[in-house]
Amino acid sequence: MTVEHRPKRARLELLVRQEDSAGFEVREIPSAVAYLHSHPQRIPDAQWELAQLPYAAGGAVTYALKNLPTEEIIQISEAEKFLWEQMDGRASLQEIATAYLLRYGSFDFAIIPTLIVKLLRADLLTMRPVSRLRAVLARNHRNAAARAMEGTLHALERLTVTSRRAHRFFERLYRYGGFVLFTPWTMLALVVMVALGAWSGVRIWHALDDVTHGLAQHPLVAILLVKVVFWLTVVNHQVIHALACIHYGRRVREFGFTILHGFIPTFYADVTDIFMSSRRARIVNAVAGPLFHLFLGAACLWIATLTSPGLIQGFLVASAILQLQSFVVSLYPFCFLEMDGYHVLVEWLGLPTLNHDAVRFVRESLWSRLRNLDTLTRRERIYVTYVALSLVSVASFVIGIAWLLVYAGES
Amino acid sequence: MARPPEIAFLRRVPLFQDLEEPVLRALGPSFRERRLRAGDVVFRTGDRGEELFLVKEGRIVVSKPVTGRIEQVLNRVEPGEAFGEMSVFGDERHRSATCQAETDVILYSLDRESLNRFIADNPLTAARFFQQLAMVAFKRLRDSSDLVAEVTRWGLEATGLDVEHT
Repeated sequence: MTVEHRPKRARLELLVRQEDSAGFEVREIPSAVAYLHSHPQRIPDAQWELAQLPYAAGGAVTYALKNLPTEEIIQISEAEKFLWEQMDGRASLQEIATAYLLRYGSFDFAIIPTLIVKLLRADLLTMRPVSRLRAVLARNHRNAAARAMEGTLHALERLTVTSRRAHRFFERLYRYGGFVLFTPWTMLALVVMVALGAWSGVRIWHALDDVTHGLAQHPLVAILLVKVVFWLTVVNHQVIHALACIHYGRRVREFGFTILHGFIPTFYADVTDIFMSSRRARIVNAVAGPLFHLFLGAACLWIATLTSPGLIQGFLVASAILQLQSFVVSLYPFCFLEMDGYHVLVEWLGLPTLNHDAVRFVRESLWSRLRNLDTLTRRERIYVTYVALSLVSVASFVIGIAWLLVYAGES
Repeated sequence: MARPPEIAFLRRVPLFQDLEEPVLRALGPSFRERRLRAGDVVFRTGDRGEELFLVKEGRIVVSKPVTGRIEQVLNRVEPGEAFGEMSVFGDERHRSATCQAETDVILYSLDRESLNRFIADNPLTAARFFQQLAMVAFKRLRDSSDLVAEVTRWGLEATGLDVEHT
């Protein structure tokens, strides 16, 4: 038997100087990382044309993709057409691969590199590295504000603390008790606790003055206590996602702390391996975290009814409100952020790249379709509904926060 | 007070390994010891080069500016190795790369004047020195061509360009 010895992926060693200091760090950049972070961008829309071929071998749908300036034509499959549509310069190859997996339920590791080679050969594609923001900042390096922002983003990125050996830890955690969370008994306990929580909520509602009085006596302690406990539960939310991943026999790639999008401090578990699993597994994984908040919220309300008025009761009720709010927020799908509820929605609709496609459709095609009085397809109506609901939700959230601040200030 | 390098250390340095002990002893006092903290720059690309350096302890990283604050790491200089010889003996008197301490480092420097005096006083021994210098230059050339090949491979892998079938 012959064994193929593939050369190790090439690595580039770069020395990155720190801003305004003599310090530096040496970073190793594997070519694979650069490849995954590249943003393939197809040539401008006016320069290409796509047509479905009238004949197809074995009933498979195929398309002809033509580069209009060079008149070069390549043939692509339905799956390759899907990938081509994602290559708008905004999505990274990693995101495109995830979208493909969600759409087709399986992943062929060769399809993306093969298609990219085909597209590059026909001059249909350019590859851009990293994010557009970082590219703009790099172009404007002489501008002090751009330099400061780049420095801040870099500092925030460095705050990421991660463990790539998390999988074994979560395997042990699952084996020594975590598996209980995925039994019918836990579901029963959740139902009972929610019922108890609802009953307790009604009781507390009638004695709300006692609760607020208890909090008002120790406002600083109460706020700090609620915040600390809430952060701990955010960790647990991610732990439960990780355990769900283990439950379905998939791998937890990473667990850690990061600054999401450069401004949201959060813990995270990389459970993207769940995409290789069944639809049911993906939905269970998505709802497991929010259900943990529901359970804790209900439990806090119930325990609050067993305690006498004071700091502890106030803390429990405030924690319950935060937990229930987290439950609703993480399951709410219409906010342009791809949180747990969004993943449930895309599974239900069967539109894995809903957010990306909906925003693109509204931005690029909707107005011309409306001007021409075209009838929208079912998918396009979903896109419009998603964007409209998300816009309304975000606007309501901002107005709500503003109203709350004004109201709180006055009272 | 800074001491000259020990003979045993100079014997480990390829450039000086073939030199007789009396010659090394005579050359010893010309060396200047320098202690650097991690991050200290020995010289930058474009600086005028007047000295050759030997690393006694620690590690030097050699890099070349690429864009903004990013530089390509070309090489590392370990204890017993020399650097900075290109602008002392080459046709270009300016430094071709930046050398910076990656860890705390102890160096010995030898200036152009002392080297020229050593060559003038010991023409036969200097021939052996230059033979070793040529070896070092060949190794640098080999390392550079390996790096070019590696960077090209990186570029091909990172862009997914399949040149064989283009």
